Amino acid sequence: MNFISRALVLGSLSTVVGCASMKGGTKTPDTTEPKPSTASLVDYCDDTQKAISKEADTLASPYGIDQHLDKNFPDRKVSWLMTDSAYQKFVVQTGAKNFGRCNDTACYLFAAPSASIHGAVEKAKTADGKHDPAVLGQALGLPAKNFEGPLRMMTLDLGAQKVCTRLPVDADPGVWKCQTPEDTDCFKFGGYTSGGAPEVMVINAPVADTQVAEIP
Amino acid sequence: MSDEEVLLQSPLLYRVLRGRDGGLSIEVVVGGFVQFEVRVRLNAEETESFQKEGRAFADRLAQAIMANPPFGGRSVKLPVS
Repeated sequence: MNFISRALVLGSLSTVVGCASMKGGTKTPDTTEPKPSTASLVDYCDDTQKAISKEADTLASPYGIDQHLDKNFPDRKVSWLMTDSAYQKFVVQTGAKNFGRCNDTACYLFAAPSASIHGAVEKAKTADGKHDPAVLGQALGLPAKNFEGPLRMMTLDLGAQKVCTRLPVDADPGVWKCQTPEDTDCFKFGGYTSGGAPEVMVINAPVADTQVAEIP
Repeated sequence: MSDEEVLLQSPLLYRVLRGRDGGLSIEVVVGGFVQFEVRVRLNAEETESFQKEGRAFADRLAQAIMANPPFGGRSVKLPVS
Protein backbone atom coordinates (compact mmCIF):
# COMPACT_ATOMS: atom_id res chain seq x y z
CA MET A 1 0.00 0.00 0.00
CA ASN A 2 2.87 2.29 0.94
CA PHE A 3 4.62 1.56 -2.31
CA ILE A 4 1.45 2.27 -4.27
CA SER A 5 0.90 5.53 -2.42
CA ARG A 6 4.47 6.60 -3.05
CA ALA A 7 4.18 5.67 -6.69
CA LEU A 8 1.02 7.73 -7.00
CA VAL A 9 2.64 10.71 -5.32
CA LEU A 10 5.70 10.44 -7.52
CA GLY A 11 3.47 10.06 -10.55
CA SER A 12 1.56 13.21 -9.61
CA LEU A 13 4.77 15.08 -8.97
CA SER A 14 6.23 14.16 -12.31
CA THR A 15 2.98 15.23 -13.95
CA VAL A 16 3.17 18.59 -12.21
CA VAL A 17 6.81 19.03 -13.13
CA GLY A 18 5.98 18.02 -16.68
CA CYS A 19 3.18 20.58 -16.85
CA ALA A 20 5.43 23.28 -15.45
CA SER A 21 8.06 22.52 -18.06
CA MET A 22 5.48 22.56 -20.82
CA LYS A 23 4.16 25.87 -19.61
CA GLY A 24 7.55 27.42 -20.23
CA GLY A 25 7.39 26.27 -23.84
CA THR A 26 3.93 27.55 -24.64
CA LYS A 27 3.42 30.95 -26.24
CA THR A 28 1.94 33.16 -23.55
CA PRO A 29 3.92 36.37 -23.96
CA ASP A 30 1.12 38.66 -22.82
CA THR A 31 0.50 37.14 -19.39
CA THR A 32 2.64 36.39 -16.36
CA GLU A 33 -0.07 34.52 -14.45
CA PRO A 34 0.83 30.92 -13.57
CA LYS A 35 -1.13 28.32 -15.51
CA PRO A 36 -3.86 26.91 -13.29
CA SER A 37 -3.80 23.28 -12.30
CA THR A 38 -6.33 21.12 -14.10
CA ALA A 39 -7.29 19.05 -11.04
CA SER A 40 -10.30 20.28 -9.10
CA LEU A 41 -9.68 20.43 -5.37
CA VAL A 42 -13.31 19.40 -4.88
CA ASP A 43 -12.25 15.95 -6.11
CA TYR A 44 -10.48 15.52 -2.76
CA CYS A 45 -13.66 16.17 -0.77
CA ASP A 46 -15.88 13.55 0.80
CA ASP A 47 -19.50 13.24 -0.31
CA THR A 48 -20.75 15.69 2.32
CA GLN A 49 -18.35 18.44 1.28
CA LYS A 50 -18.89 17.70 -2.43
CA ALA A 51 -22.61 18.22 -1.92
CA ILE A 52 -22.03 21.53 -0.08
CA SER A 53 -19.61 22.62 -2.80
CA LYS A 54 -22.09 21.76 -5.55
CA GLU A 55 -24.79 23.77 -3.82
CA ALA A 56 -22.41 26.73 -3.33
CA ASP A 57 -21.36 26.64 -6.98
CA THR A 58 -24.98 26.55 -8.07
CA LEU A 59 -25.72 29.57 -5.91
CA ALA A 60 -22.65 31.41 -7.25
CA SER A 61 -23.30 30.34 -10.86
CA PRO A 62 -21.89 31.07 -13.39
CA TYR A 63 -18.93 31.45 -10.98
CA GLY A 64 -17.66 28.48 -8.97
CA ILE A 65 -14.78 27.13 -6.92
CA ASP A 66 -12.67 26.14 -9.92
CA GLN A 67 -12.90 29.60 -11.51
CA HIS A 68 -12.28 31.17 -8.10
CA LEU A 69 -9.11 29.13 -7.61
CA ASP A 70 -7.87 29.79 -11.12
CA LYS A 71 -8.44 33.50 -10.71
CA ASN A 72 -7.21 34.08 -7.16
CA PHE A 73 -5.19 31.02 -6.16
CA PRO A 74 -3.36 30.06 -9.39
CA ASP A 75 -0.57 28.30 -7.49
CA ARG A 76 -3.09 26.63 -5.17
CA LYS A 77 -1.21 27.92 -2.11
CA VAL A 78 -3.16 29.34 0.80
CA SER A 79 -2.18 31.16 3.97
CA TRP A 80 -3.90 32.37 7.07
CA LEU A 81 -2.91 34.18 10.25
CA MET A 82 -3.55 33.46 13.91
CA THR A 83 -2.48 35.29 17.00
CA ASP A 84 0.35 33.37 18.62
CA SER A 85 -1.78 33.03 21.74
CA ALA A 86 -4.60 31.30 19.85
CA TYR A 87 -2.09 29.10 18.00
CA GLN A 88 -0.53 27.95 21.27
CA LYS A 89 -3.84 27.27 23.03
CA PHE A 90 -5.79 25.67 20.23
CA VAL A 91 -3.17 24.02 18.03
CA VAL A 92 0.00 23.31 20.05
CA GLN A 93 -1.48 22.54 23.47
CA THR A 94 -4.27 20.38 22.05
CA GLY A 95 -2.00 18.55 19.60
CA ALA A 96 -4.47 19.35 16.83
CA LYS A 97 -4.16 17.23 13.69
CA ASN A 98 -6.02 19.71 11.51
CA PHE A 99 -6.32 23.47 11.49
CA GLY A 100 -9.72 25.11 11.77
CA ARG A 101 -12.96 24.66 13.65
CA CYS A 102 -13.85 21.01 13.94
CA ASN A 103 -17.22 19.35 14.41
CA ASP A 104 -18.44 15.81 13.75
CA THR A 105 -18.15 16.23 9.99
CA ALA A 106 -14.77 17.95 9.44
CA CYS A 107 -12.44 20.80 10.35
CA TYR A 108 -13.28 24.08 8.62
CA LEU A 109 -10.71 26.75 7.85
CA PHE A 110 -10.92 30.07 6.01
CA ALA A 111 -7.79 30.81 3.99
CA ALA A 112 -6.55 33.47 1.58
CA PRO A 113 -4.05 33.43 -1.31
CA SER A 114 -0.53 32.91 0.04
CA ALA A 115 0.91 35.58 -2.19
CA SER A 116 -1.32 38.29 -0.75
CA ILE A 117 -0.76 37.25 2.89
CA HIS A 118 3.00 36.88 2.45
CA GLY A 119 3.17 40.18 0.55
CA ALA A 120 1.22 41.98 3.26
CA VAL A 121 3.37 40.51 6.03
CA GLU A 122 6.54 41.49 4.20
CA LYS A 123 5.23 45.01 3.73
CA ALA A 124 4.32 45.28 7.42
CA LYS A 125 7.79 44.31 8.71
CA THR A 126 9.32 46.99 10.92
CA ALA A 127 12.94 47.88 11.59
CA ASP A 128 12.88 46.14 14.98
CA GLY A 129 11.85 42.84 13.39
CA LYS A 130 8.22 43.08 14.42
CA HIS A 131 5.16 43.96 12.36
CA ASP A 132 2.99 47.03 12.05
CA PRO A 133 -0.67 46.04 12.57
CA ALA A 134 -1.88 49.15 10.74
CA VAL A 135 0.13 48.34 7.60
CA LEU A 136 -0.93 44.68 7.70
CA GLY A 137 -4.55 45.64 8.20
CA GLN A 138 -4.49 48.11 5.37
CA ALA A 139 -2.81 45.65 3.02
CA LEU A 140 -5.43 42.97 3.70
CA GLY A 141 -8.43 45.27 3.95
CA LEU A 142 -9.11 44.36 7.58
CA PRO A 143 -9.10 46.33 10.84
CA ALA A 144 -5.62 46.86 12.33
CA LYS A 145 -6.74 45.59 15.75
CA ASN A 146 -7.05 42.08 14.26
CA PHE A 147 -3.27 42.01 13.83
CA GLU A 148 -2.04 43.21 17.20
CA GLY A 149 0.57 41.17 19.06
CA PRO A 150 2.73 38.27 17.86
CA LEU A 151 1.20 36.26 15.02
CA ARG A 152 1.69 32.96 13.27
CA MET A 153 1.46 32.71 9.51
CA MET A 154 0.48 29.35 8.10
CA THR A 155 1.01 28.25 4.51
CA LEU A 156 -0.37 25.16 2.82
CA ASP A 157 -0.04 23.89 -0.75
CA LEU A 158 -3.53 22.59 -1.43
CA GLY A 159 -2.63 21.01 -4.75
CA ALA A 160 0.43 19.15 -3.49
CA GLN A 161 -1.33 17.92 -0.36
CA LYS A 162 -4.63 17.21 -2.15
CA VAL A 163 -6.79 19.09 0.29
CA CYS A 164 -10.54 19.45 -0.16
CA THR A 165 -11.40 23.08 -0.87
CA ARG A 166 -14.66 24.82 -1.79
CA LEU A 167 -16.42 28.17 -1.66
CA PRO A 168 -17.32 29.10 1.93
CA VAL A 169 -21.02 29.08 2.77
CA ASP A 170 -23.18 30.81 5.34
CA ALA A 171 -23.53 27.67 7.45
CA ASP A 172 -19.79 27.06 7.85
CA PRO A 173 -18.51 27.10 11.44
CA GLY A 174 -16.98 30.43 12.36
CA VAL A 175 -18.83 32.55 9.83
CA TRP A 176 -18.78 36.17 11.01
CA LYS A 177 -22.12 37.70 10.10
CA CYS A 178 -22.01 41.28 8.84
CA GLN A 179 -23.67 43.65 11.26
CA THR A 180 -23.31 46.91 9.33
CA PRO A 181 -22.62 47.73 5.67
CA GLU A 182 -19.27 49.21 6.78
CA ASP A 183 -17.94 45.93 8.20
CA THR A 184 -14.90 44.81 6.22
CA ASP A 185 -14.05 41.61 8.05
CA CYS A 186 -17.29 39.66 7.89
CA PHE A 187 -18.55 36.88 5.65
CA LYS A 188 -20.10 37.48 2.28
CA PHE A 189 -21.07 34.63 0.00
CA GLY A 190 -19.16 34.29 -3.26
CA GLY A 191 -15.53 33.72 -2.28
CA TYR A 192 -14.67 37.24 -1.11
CA THR A 193 -14.85 38.84 2.31
CA SER A 194 -17.02 41.91 2.76
CA GLY A 195 -13.77 43.87 2.31
CA GLY A 196 -13.17 42.22 -1.07
CA ALA A 197 -10.35 39.84 -0.08
CA PRO A 198 -10.47 36.43 -1.80
CA GLU A 199 -11.02 33.47 0.52
CA VAL A 200 -11.76 29.76 0.34
CA MET A 201 -12.97 27.13 2.77
CA VAL A 202 -10.31 24.49 3.34
CA ILE A 203 -11.48 21.19 4.79
CA ASN A 204 -9.20 19.24 7.12
CA ALA A 205 -6.04 21.28 6.56
CA PRO A 206 -3.32 18.99 7.96
CA VAL A 207 -1.10 20.55 10.62
CA ALA A 208 1.77 18.24 9.71
CA ASP A 209 1.89 19.47 6.11
CA THR A 210 1.54 23.15 6.92
CA GLN A 211 4.44 25.59 7.18
CA VAL A 212 4.20 27.81 10.23
CA ALA A 213 6.15 31.07 10.49
CA GLU A 214 6.48 33.37 13.47
CA ILE A 215 5.54 37.02 12.93
CA PRO A 216 6.85 38.82 16.04
CA MET B 1 -3.95 33.07 33.51
CA SER B 2 -2.68 29.88 35.15
CA ASP B 3 -5.05 30.52 38.06
CA GLU B 4 -7.91 29.61 35.80
CA GLU B 5 -9.32 26.14 35.42
CA VAL B 6 -10.21 24.96 31.92
CA LEU B 7 -13.64 23.36 32.21
CA LEU B 8 -14.12 22.63 28.54
CA GLN B 9 -11.80 22.75 25.54
CA SER B 10 -13.66 22.38 22.28
CA PRO B 11 -12.37 21.50 18.79
CA LEU B 12 -14.71 24.24 17.59
CA LEU B 13 -11.93 26.52 18.87
CA TYR B 14 -13.28 27.78 22.15
CA ARG B 15 -12.77 26.99 25.80
CA VAL B 16 -14.72 27.61 28.97
CA LEU B 17 -12.78 28.65 32.06
CA ARG B 18 -13.48 29.11 35.74
CA GLY B 19 -11.63 32.01 37.31
CA ARG B 20 -10.30 32.36 40.85
CA ASP B 21 -13.51 34.12 41.85
CA GLY B 22 -15.57 31.18 40.60
CA GLY B 23 -16.93 33.13 37.64
CA LEU B 24 -17.07 31.52 34.20
CA SER B 25 -15.64 32.92 30.99
CA ILE B 26 -15.52 31.69 27.44
CA GLU B 27 -12.59 32.26 25.09
CA VAL B 28 -13.50 31.95 21.44
CA VAL B 29 -11.33 32.05 18.33
CA VAL B 30 -13.06 34.39 15.91
CA GLY B 31 -12.33 35.57 12.41
CA GLY B 32 -11.82 34.12 8.97
CA PHE B 33 -8.30 33.96 7.52
CA VAL B 34 -7.14 36.17 10.38
CA GLN B 35 -8.00 34.48 13.65
CA PHE B 36 -7.79 35.91 17.13
CA GLU B 37 -9.41 35.25 20.49
CA VAL B 38 -12.05 37.15 22.35
CA ARG B 39 -13.21 36.51 25.89
CA VAL B 40 -16.71 36.92 27.27
CA ARG B 41 -17.60 36.63 30.93
CA LEU B 42 -20.75 34.58 31.37
CA ASN B 43 -23.63 36.28 33.14
CA ALA B 44 -25.77 34.50 35.74
CA GLU B 45 -28.25 33.20 33.21
CA GLU B 46 -25.53 31.87 30.91
CA THR B 47 -23.70 30.30 33.83
CA GLU B 48 -26.86 28.48 34.83
CA SER B 49 -27.45 27.31 31.27
CA PHE B 50 -23.89 26.03 31.04
CA GLN B 51 -24.24 24.17 34.32
CA LYS B 52 -27.47 22.60 33.10
CA GLU B 53 -26.62 21.86 29.47
CA GLY B 54 -22.82 21.80 29.40
CA ARG B 55 -21.25 21.50 25.96
CA ALA B 56 -24.50 21.96 24.04
CA PHE B 57 -24.99 25.41 25.54
CA ALA B 58 -21.30 26.29 25.21
CA ASP B 59 -21.39 25.35 21.51
CA ARG B 60 -24.34 27.67 20.94
CA LEU B 61 -22.76 30.50 22.90
CA ALA B 62 -19.43 30.12 21.07
CA GLN B 63 -21.17 30.10 17.69
CA ALA B 64 -23.09 33.24 18.62
CA ILE B 65 -19.82 34.95 19.53
CA MET B 66 -18.12 33.77 16.32
CA ALA B 67 -21.03 35.19 14.32
CA ASN B 68 -20.82 38.54 16.09
CA PRO B 69 -17.47 38.92 17.86
CA PRO B 70 -18.17 42.27 19.56
CA PHE B 71 -21.09 40.40 21.17
CA GLY B 72 -22.94 43.53 22.12
CA GLY B 73 -19.82 45.11 23.58
CA ARG B 74 -19.30 42.24 26.02
CA SER B 75 -16.20 40.69 24.44
CA VAL B 76 -12.58 41.60 25.12
CA LYS B 77 -9.89 40.86 22.54
CA LEU B 78 -7.07 38.63 23.80
CA PRO B 79 -4.33 38.70 24.76
CA VAL B 80 -5.03 41.77 26.87
CA SER B 81 -2.03 44.07 26.60
